[in-house]
Amino acid sequence: MINVLRSELIKLRTVRMNAVLAIVAVAFPLIITVLTATLSDLHDVNSRNLVGLVAGTSVITGMLLGVIGAVGIASEFAFGTIRPTFAATPRRSRVIVAKAIVTVAVAILVEATVVVLCFGIGAAVMNSRGGDISLSAAGSAKGGLVGVIIFAAIVSLLGYGLGLLVRSTPVAVALLLLWPLVAEGLIATVLAVARVDHPFKWLPYNAGINLGNPDGASTSESLGRVLGGLYFFAVTAVVAGVGALLTSRRDA
Amino acid sequence: MTITVSGLTKRFGRKVAVSNLSFQVAPGVVTGFLGPNGSGKSTTMRCMLALDRADAGGALFDGKPYSALVKPLHEVGALLDAGYVHPGRSGRNHLRWLAASNGLPGKRVDEVLEVVGLAAVGGKRLKTYSLGMRQRLGLAGVLLGDPRTVILDEPANGLDPEGIRWIRDVLVHLASQGKTVLVSSHLLSEMALMASSLVVIGQGQLVEECTVDQFVAKFGDQWVRVKSPRVANLVEPLRGGGATVDYVGDDTVDVHHATAPEVGELAARLGVVLHELSVQTGSLEDAFLKATASVQEYQAGAL
Repeated sequence: MINVLRSELIKLRTVRMNAVLAIVAVAFPLIITVLTATLSDLHDVNSRNLVGLVAGTSVITGMLLGVIGAVGIASEFAFGTIRPTFAATPRRSRVIVAKAIVTVAVAILVEATVVVLCFGIGAAVMNSRGGDISLSAAGSAKGGLVGVIIFAAIVSLLGYGLGLLVRSTPVAVALLLLWPLVAEGLIATVLAVARVDHPFKWLPYNAGINLGNPDGASTSESLGRVLGGLYFFAVTAVVAGVGALLTSRRDA
Repeated sequence: MTITVSGLTKRFGRKVAVSNLSFQVAPGVVTGFLGPNGSGKSTTMRCMLALDRADAGGALFDGKPYSALVKPLHEVGALLDAGYVHPGRSGRNHLRWLAASNGLPGKRVDEVLEVVGLAAVGGKRLKTYSLGMRQRLGLAGVLLGDPRTVILDEPANGLDPEGIRWIRDVLVHLASQGKTVLVSSHLLSEMALMASSLVVIGQGQLVEECTVDQFVAKFGDQWVRVKSPRVANLVEPLRGGGATVDYVGDDTVDVHHATAPEVGELAARLGVVLHELSVQTGSLEDAFLKATASVQEYQAGAL
């Protein structure tokens, strides 16, 4: 298994597009955080606000890491490299699991780096301007920073699962990005018209994004951080599980 | 290592690509895997490597299915399509992930790049490689684990004449080391030069499994070439005996439906001096076309 993990890590690291996406994934929230920390009125910002800012912008990082997960597997089918991969490791479950581990581990590493860098630099900039920002002062809100790292891990697994399922890079990426941006909005609108209370509550992405919410408590409108995260993970696990099952049974 | 394919059947929907196919590939010789387009060669190879799921039957490598091999690159090196690469990755990195998957050291990558003549371009991205370079890279992947068995699907595609000769020499060399070599190719002249055994299929079924010589003898034409300054004196008696005689020169004829001893004895009786009396054998290509005439998937029309 260690050999397959090493092999999959080499694959991930040796495609330039992954590096570009990772750089954008780190740079975007960092730039937004630094600009906000530099330009905002200190009276309007406290430690809890900075947690919310970091967690909110880091969601973009999570989505880009999901794209890396989707492209990582779907491109194997597109370029045919899945065949030498399975020829080199005939026990497909090893490849499927190893790729998932590498994808999620890299997502956790990158997202954790983003969170630490953004909060650390944001706090340093604000404190240099006379602010009083610290992680301990954020209270329960700091759970959102851990939550957004878990969110990124789940989204990367979702991207990977979609790639396994549809075996097409554009379709997998489109599903990953359009589901939260378009599909859940449309579904919520339809549910609202049908007089369903709090229609966003049970939509997977909207439930999952609570992981990064500084206010993590469950309410009538939201499943909250823990339940929302578990629900999002359950949906993702089903997608990834079905994708893994089909991949292990289908012709390569 | 002996490859045993038995009862292999593979369907794609209603289409039966391979039907109850059985054959053996022995070590120490190059075995050519021949068949017209669409005959099921590539599907058979994919099933052998557990890439496609066979509907029935399967392949065993020294008694083991491919999926039971723990580090298959050490046992079986396969190149099914040189295009199975990520264009954004370098040649060296392509081999690195392949090597790592079977616990092979990184230095082995540089060794095989050297062997296939790509050491200087190993760092270049694969989208800059020609098809011939990709074939060489594919062969480098095959050689990574120094396997006992080599399976190649159309390895000469895209290679220049020097490359074709090189790959022929490599395969013959591997077979001479006692390795099992199964190779499909449409270049029948090349196959005639390197293969000793043949497995010929058509429409997913076995047509013939034998040595190249047996195949040509069975399906190829044989005739007698006769050269004599008085060859005209032989023509009518030969035709009278039921033979077909074609002039190929002023003093040379090709005689069908008569054996060399029969022609020689006739010449002796008539006092005709012979400058040549030789048995001619048709090419592997002729024999292949004859053997597979009834199982061609795609028949071309006349121009």
